[in-house]
Amino acid sequence: MSEVTHVGLEIHVQLLTESKVFCACRNSYGDEANSNVCPVCLGYPGILPALNEEAVTKAYQIASALGCTLSHSVGFERKNYFYPDLPKNYQISQYAAPLGSDGQFLYECDGQERRVRIREVHLEEDAGKMIHAGDLSLLDYNRAGTPLVEVVTQPDLRSGADAEQLLTAFRSLVRYIGVCDGNMEHGSLRADANISVSDTEDRLGAKVEVKNLNSFKFVRAAIGFEELRQAAELVAGREVVSETRLWNENRDVTKTMRVKETDSDYRYFGEPDLPPYPLAPAFFDEVAARAVELPLAKRRRLAAAHSLSDAQSAFVTAEPETARFFERCLTSGADGKAVANWLAADVQRLLRQRGETLGSSALSPERLVQLLSLVDRGEITGKIGKQVLQAILESDRDPAAIVEEDGLRPVTDAAALGQVLSEVLAEHPQVRAQLSGGDRKPVGFLIGKVMQRTAGQADPGAIRTLIEAEVAEEAGG
Amino acid sequence: MTTQQWAATASDSARRGKWSARVAELNGELNALLSFDADARAPVAVSGDGPLFGVPFVVKDNIAVDGLPLTCGSRLLADLVSPYSATAVARLEQAGAWVAGKANLDEFGMGSSGQHSAFGPVRNPWDHRAVPGGSSSGSAAAVAAGMVPLALGSDTGGSVRQPASFCGVYGLKPTYGAVSRFGLVAYASSLDVVGIIADTPQLARAAFAAVRGADEWDQSSVTAAASQPAGMPSKVGVPRVALAGLDARVAEVLATAEHQLEESGCTVVDVELPALEHVAAAYYVIATAEASANLARYDGIRYGARVGDGGGPGEDAEKLVRATRSAGFGQEVKTRILTGTFVLRSGFQEQYYQRAQRVRTLVREEVERELRRCDLLLLPTYPVPPFTAGSTAGDGLDELQQKQADLFTGIANLTGHPALAFPVDSNGGRPIGMQLMGPAHSEEQLLAVVERLTERWPPPRPGSHIGEVA
Repeated sequence: MSEVTHVGLEIHVQLLTESKVFCACRNSYGDEANSNVCPVCLGYPGILPALNEEAVTKAYQIASALGCTLSHSVGFERKNYFYPDLPKNYQISQYAAPLGSDGQFLYECDGQERRVRIREVHLEEDAGKMIHAGDLSLLDYNRAGTPLVEVVTQPDLRSGADAEQLLTAFRSLVRYIGVCDGNMEHGSLRADANISVSDTEDRLGAKVEVKNLNSFKFVRAAIGFEELRQAAELVAGREVVSETRLWNENRDVTKTMRVKETDSDYRYFGEPDLPPYPLAPAFFDEVAARAVELPLAKRRRLAAAHSLSDAQSAFVTAEPETARFFERCLTSGADGKAVANWLAADVQRLLRQRGETLGSSALSPERLVQLLSLVDRGEITGKIGKQVLQAILESDRDPAAIVEEDGLRPVTDAAALGQVLSEVLAEHPQVRAQLSGGDRKPVGFLIGKVMQRTAGQADPGAIRTLIEAEVAEEAGG
Repeated sequence: MTTQQWAATASDSARRGKWSARVAELNGELNALLSFDADARAPVAVSGDGPLFGVPFVVKDNIAVDGLPLTCGSRLLADLVSPYSATAVARLEQAGAWVAGKANLDEFGMGSSGQHSAFGPVRNPWDHRAVPGGSSSGSAAAVAAGMVPLALGSDTGGSVRQPASFCGVYGLKPTYGAVSRFGLVAYASSLDVVGIIADTPQLARAAFAAVRGADEWDQSSVTAAASQPAGMPSKVGVPRVALAGLDARVAEVLATAEHQLEESGCTVVDVELPALEHVAAAYYVIATAEASANLARYDGIRYGARVGDGGGPGEDAEKLVRATRSAGFGQEVKTRILTGTFVLRSGFQEQYYQRAQRVRTLVREEVERELRRCDLLLLPTYPVPPFTAGSTAGDGLDELQQKQADLFTGIANLTGHPALAFPVDSNGGRPIGMQLMGPAHSEEQLLAVVERLTERWPPPRPGSHIGEVA
């Protein structure tokens, strides 16, 4: 018997909007508890929701990027359930007609293109947070009413690794569109997984939903755990119970939260406070105008155009900030491959050391292009280039100014270099002997020594010429 | 009293004191007001801006006034103070009127007798043994007794019109969406409207002009052009067939109203509204379904009375919520929440909720059809006169009979059309009113017709009346 695993995800995306979805409160993470609240988001008697159009636009941007069929009017339902973090004890969500349906998402998994079908994209309000502190339960309603988009995939995924890669690519997507910061730690991007293991390919097994997955790693681990657990049930001849389970990150296991049979009936019905809101053609024009090139398309285009390696194209396009930086370098005429090399290696390393990002650092695309061009024209050596890069980050100056002010121009003056070379040869008589004997091996050693004495400023080409001249002289003399 | 006379009383502390004392005395008999303050918001000058300058009004206690209690007639919200004002309240204040108090009501607007308030029953100023109607019982009783000339109420299935009829005053249920619901505590959101109770049609018109129009905080609100009253309508329809079970006295008063309309130049014609017999059932399914969600927020966690400390060791939130709601809600509210939860269960929605929605569509089509054939419809407000409180014997009605009797008012809530209840006959101290229903946004037309009738056949006053004392 061989088991087949099917995984579907419910991805929750908190939208980046100034205000909440149904009131004027600030939509902001990390503020003092219950500071961004008002009668509307606290569910006071008599309040009504007023729909935030920016949230609607951003939700449609996601649905549109996922190639969904877009609903021409936006209507809501009430999803009824009691929970202390839900101020009205119903959630305003979409049920009958989600704003997007039947889309797809393309991403790469282990170098292979994968496609997951998107069942629906809908807009709803987030709940508050309940914090348990000893015997107390505390409630923070700052998050209540945050615009939340739920993306529901079909059960097309086959493993935890698959799900992790999809989520990584999806995070990149929402960051590209600029609708979400994708911060799992703050909960702005969250996912629940539905896992079903069956013993035949042609039908799904019982659906088990796993919640409380606060990182992509937990998603992978929880799916892996469920695969084994459910397969073991089947092997033992038992039925898998359809239920909701919670991931316990301390023990790396899932535990039953509630069994589906006793699950609450949400008693959905049309939200009378928000009559279906017809969207004008101008709205869809705006959504279209905001469309951007998606990460996978960009990666393919740039990789082909600039002969980037897989790792380079992945690095350059993972973050919208890096991609923007890269493309601005290209418009300044830089060589794509060289830029990618620098970004993926030295730039990334130095930024990480300094705890900075491209956007927050003193390195602009113009400065990097200037630096590359100095190296390319031989005005500085590659090694000095790295020093200049560091100096840019440290002192916020242009590369040309750094070279000038810090005296980093290469020493090409034959007399000065000849002097250094003579000193080196004098200290290493055996090397001189080797050269005299026609052995070229020590040339590299000599160049290195001269570079060392000149603090890397010597032009390696010029040193080589001098050495050759020295050898020729001896042979002739 | 005219608007100017009210402004004079309101701005003079001595006269205010006299008025206030009489209100307190009357309220002792009627229990119409839950709070009254003649001074806090009274104008300081005898004249000022706004068509309603100086006019005191009371607000049904399910409509928010910043800084005043918002009990909804419920133990659960007995100590809640509203942190904001309803749009309708704010707009009346902008027009120069001022809030003098909060009016008693059937808990959360659920009831048509004025007997379902956690703060005691309201009495009819005409006859203290009779119910004042409900759920805007306090608003209607206060206006009828002359405590104030104007009140805000809410009408979900007749809650403004029926008590207005029972108390012999004017009650306007505007077109759904014509007045913002922001600040009106929701009972059944797709049926609820903020309504106006006034002692004259002129004052009702001025108040409606002040509160009407779209509000950014209520997305179901709209701004419609004010209808131009075109004198008396030529044709008024009466749904004759549906009136078979009408109380004889109500039938007599209906004939009086028809006669008055004919005397005023209208033709009265028969119309067909066969769906009327399904109105009460459809109304209660939809209203209770929406109520079950709307009242879910009263869990004792964020505001309101909390029973138990579910957060303590060994307790949980569910226990706290259960205890709070069990102790906080009255029996009628619980019955409606349970009914609404029942009709919305998955697998049963088709049988109840969706079916009720189809009846709603059918009723709307019928009313629209008849309103193309005639200008306005004339209907009784309630099939029986004000009944005796606290008894199901004699002329008393039990809870089910009261619900079945909501057909004539519930129809306008299901269809969204405006309707105006007006006094026609005092019926020996238990007033009987009729209502006119018209096309969407025809409030001015309804008010103009009733104004004409009132000029010719002025309604009498109840025994419990403040008189000219103020």
